[in-house]
Amino acid sequence: MTEKRVAIIGGGVAGMQMAIHLKERGANPVIIEREPTLGGKVAGWYVLFPTFTPAEQVVAPLKQRIAELGIEVMLDTTVTAIAPTCVTLQHGQLLRCDAVALCSGSTLFDARIKEEYGYGIYDNVYTSADLEQMMREGEVRMANGERPERIAILHCVGSRDEKVCQRHCSKVCCVTGVKQAIELKRMMPQAEVFNFYMDIRMFGPGYEEMYREAQVAHNVHFVRGRISEASPLSEGRLQIKAEDTLTGRPLRMSVDMLVLLIGMRGNDDNLPLATSAGITLAENGFFHPRNHFLDNVESERKGIFMAGTCSSPKSIGETLCEATTAAERIINYLNRSNKA
Amino acid sequence: MSFYAHFTLPFIIGALAMFAIIAYRYTSWIVQLPRRDKALLRKGILSFATIRSVWEVICESLLHVKIWRRDPRLGYMHMSLAFGWFLLIAVGSVESLLYTGTLLVPLQGHVFFRYFATAIDKHIPLMDNIMDGLLLFVLSGVALAWFKRLRSRALGMRRTTRHTIGDRLALSTLWFIFPARLVAESVTAAIYGGGGFLTGSLGALLGEVVPASVLQALFEPVWWFYSSVLGIFFVAMPFSRYMHIFTEIPLIFLRNYRLSVGDKRTSYDNFQVQACSRCGICIDPCQLQAELGLNDVQSVYFLRDRREHQLTLNTAATCLMCGRCSTACPVGIDLNALRLNSRVEMRNTPSEKRFVYLRGLDRSEGMGKVGYFAGCMTMLTPRTLSAMQSIFEAADEQVWWADKSGGVCCGRPLKLSGERDSAHKMVAYNTELFRKHEITTLVTSCPICLRTFKEDYNLEGIEVLHHSEYIARLISSGRLRLRKGEGAFVYHDPCELGRGCGIYDAPREVISALGTLLEAKHNRRDALCCGSSLANLSIGDQAQLRIASSLTQELEQSGADTLVTACPLCKKALGRSAKVPTRDLSEIVAENIV
Repeated sequence: MTEKRVAIIGGGVAGMQMAIHLKERGANPVIIEREPTLGGKVAGWYVLFPTFTPAEQVVAPLKQRIAELGIEVMLDTTVTAIAPTCVTLQHGQLLRCDAVALCSGSTLFDARIKEEYGYGIYDNVYTSADLEQMMREGEVRMANGERPERIAILHCVGSRDEKVCQRHCSKVCCVTGVKQAIELKRMMPQAEVFNFYMDIRMFGPGYEEMYREAQVAHNVHFVRGRISEASPLSEGRLQIKAEDTLTGRPLRMSVDMLVLLIGMRGNDDNLPLATSAGITLAENGFFHPRNHFLDNVESERKGIFMAGTCSSPKSIGETLCEATTAAERIINYLNRSNKA
Repeated sequence: MSFYAHFTLPFIIGALAMFAIIAYRYTSWIVQLPRRDKALLRKGILSFATIRSVWEVICESLLHVKIWRRDPRLGYMHMSLAFGWFLLIAVGSVESLLYTGTLLVPLQGHVFFRYFATAIDKHIPLMDNIMDGLLLFVLSGVALAWFKRLRSRALGMRRTTRHTIGDRLALSTLWFIFPARLVAESVTAAIYGGGGFLTGSLGALLGEVVPASVLQALFEPVWWFYSSVLGIFFVAMPFSRYMHIFTEIPLIFLRNYRLSVGDKRTSYDNFQVQACSRCGICIDPCQLQAELGLNDVQSVYFLRDRREHQLTLNTAATCLMCGRCSTACPVGIDLNALRLNSRVEMRNTPSEKRFVYLRGLDRSEGMGKVGYFAGCMTMLTPRTLSAMQSIFEAADEQVWWADKSGGVCCGRPLKLSGERDSAHKMVAYNTELFRKHEITTLVTSCPICLRTFKEDYNLEGIEVLHHSEYIARLISSGRLRLRKGEGAFVYHDPCELGRGCGIYDAPREVISALGTLLEAKHNRRDALCCGSSLANLSIGDQAQLRIASSLTQELEQSGADTLVTACPLCKKALGRSAKVPTRDLSEIVAENIV
């Protein structure tokens, strides 16, 4: 059993959790991470919904355990092709293994594509990821260094949007928008915060309560309607145009900051990886499991497993859960092939 | 001598009926023309336009030059039928003159001359051979037409028109006319001798293998058959697509007299609609057909349904109005304008209350003789707007900004959707705004706005320019200096700018000033549509994406590192599926200002 090698593609929370479980069960996992550090997207977040737990409290223990267990980690390494018994690395180098796990996560939508919101064109238009970064750095400021007094948070940027070929719901942006609104209000109680949404999807434990808390305790405003465009005003302020679909009226509002809740999309290299493995992708560009019920962490091909947001947008809790399940399935798979 | 036999009756009745119906129709259409069009007609008749029209009739109605240019096989087929038949009639009258020595031969005398010639004891073999040659010429066209029905690709058309039952009747009789003539003349030659290399030889062969009594018994019936198919065809003709044979002629004249299709149906439209031969050449260029497999909305079907009063909103609305079919149409029918006035009839909903908020509205900024109108789509692609800002600054231009803080739509989207009256409200509002601020030049970066400013606005005294033209001028006058770099740019011609306004060179000049210009396989007049056309009222987003993806693939095949276009809507459409960056012309200019 100790000889059985599992190539884990991606060293985010899914890959780390899976590696730890596999190692504890006697397998020999190797994590292949394209970035110079472990941690994936979560390492870039400030605090996590719904408990406002610092992201560091999730990432650090995982990393520590990886080190304690002496799990092999290959950083700055890209995978170009996969098969159940072999992974091809960036320079054509081959890595033999007995099973492969896709924990490659997803890509954040490039907000510049929605040019009408002015990301990368005007000052003071930020993505939700930028906002997390600012919060980690300790303060949220406008480009001129002043505190924003009125902030608009726009939901569904690059999600549920046929115009940019992203028809799926990214699932966690709604609650992220609520979380960020509360954080902004805690940091700057005098600021006005508006959330522009199509639907508010509060699917997880405590989420709906957070949504209520945002309104009741923090006076965050929720406007049902997408922003159609943003344009610059003087001193870095922005004018946004939207329709309040509950009152059926168009509205214009000037704000100091616009935060775009960017969605998750399938990685660009999902297609070449899937092709090399002989598996198919879902229509939205994510990997898809063999089925959504009893084999939801297994691909169409025996020996290739998956966990986390590489197969669809997920919360961190769900991702960790899938990683554990996938590790269990991999152990069973390796034991069976041992007997055979 | 007498030129009458009973069998000629079907022909005579058919021909008279056809001429009566056509004369009645043309007269009533002319009488019903709007006063403005009648004035144009009176002015035009005695002008050079008439001579030009005669020449065009020869080129297009007889020789079919445009179809030749598209595909020589298809050109030959159309020419042999039209020009061949015309020569049969023209040379036929010479033939009867030479044989009888008189010009006073009635119509049926020419057409059935070989029948009546049996009473004349005279042979002019040269004439017989010429007439046989012409018959063979027409028959070769008929054979190609048969072949085209079976295998349209062989004649350079991927798809050919599906016909109505009425058309099939006329088509079948048309196909029988010339073979029937061949048989009738050959049987006659078999009995009486004579005939040229074709009918004479065939007659001699018949004389050998068919008993004389059978030939005698066949003699009258074969002429009856020939006369009958002619007669049936003539009666069916005004009620079938073959109405185009004659209608193209008055259309050519009227078009040269500058009559045009407007946003309201007029009697002139009849000439346009009925001049469609349903050749189906408009089907292949249509991207809705090529990319989406829609094959019942193309111009040929739109005109057919409109002619038969069976036009549905779906057919009128399912069109990008990219103009690729108009470019291909050998008859030069104004397809988009006709579709547009059908949409107006179906969808125009005048309302006095709508748009009352426009009164007194003015959000424009700045002062200057040059006005800049961004348009709604440029507001959604603000990189273009900021690029224009840097360009104006670099050229030290004083600019009046019409709509930077929100303006009123140019009206073209409403116009394209058939809401003419609402569009007129936008037109009136913006015209007043431009006049009030006393601009002399109006620059827009949106070809959709540009086209409506040119076509629907009365902006006398204000020069309307697309930003590509404006930038090209700045460069040539030395007011804007650009750095020429290593970039390889492929340019996509937006429909509204290229086919719509005829602007192909200005954007190319600008690109050449800052990098290498590459061309796509389809460019200029043949350029493909991005699929996001505002004229489309029914194609869904995923289908639009399919059209755009195939265009971006073609553009990327040029090997360019950047796709460049000059329309905000095209830019959005291409950017969705492009693997390399998609930029507006102004963006690459602004980045390379020295």
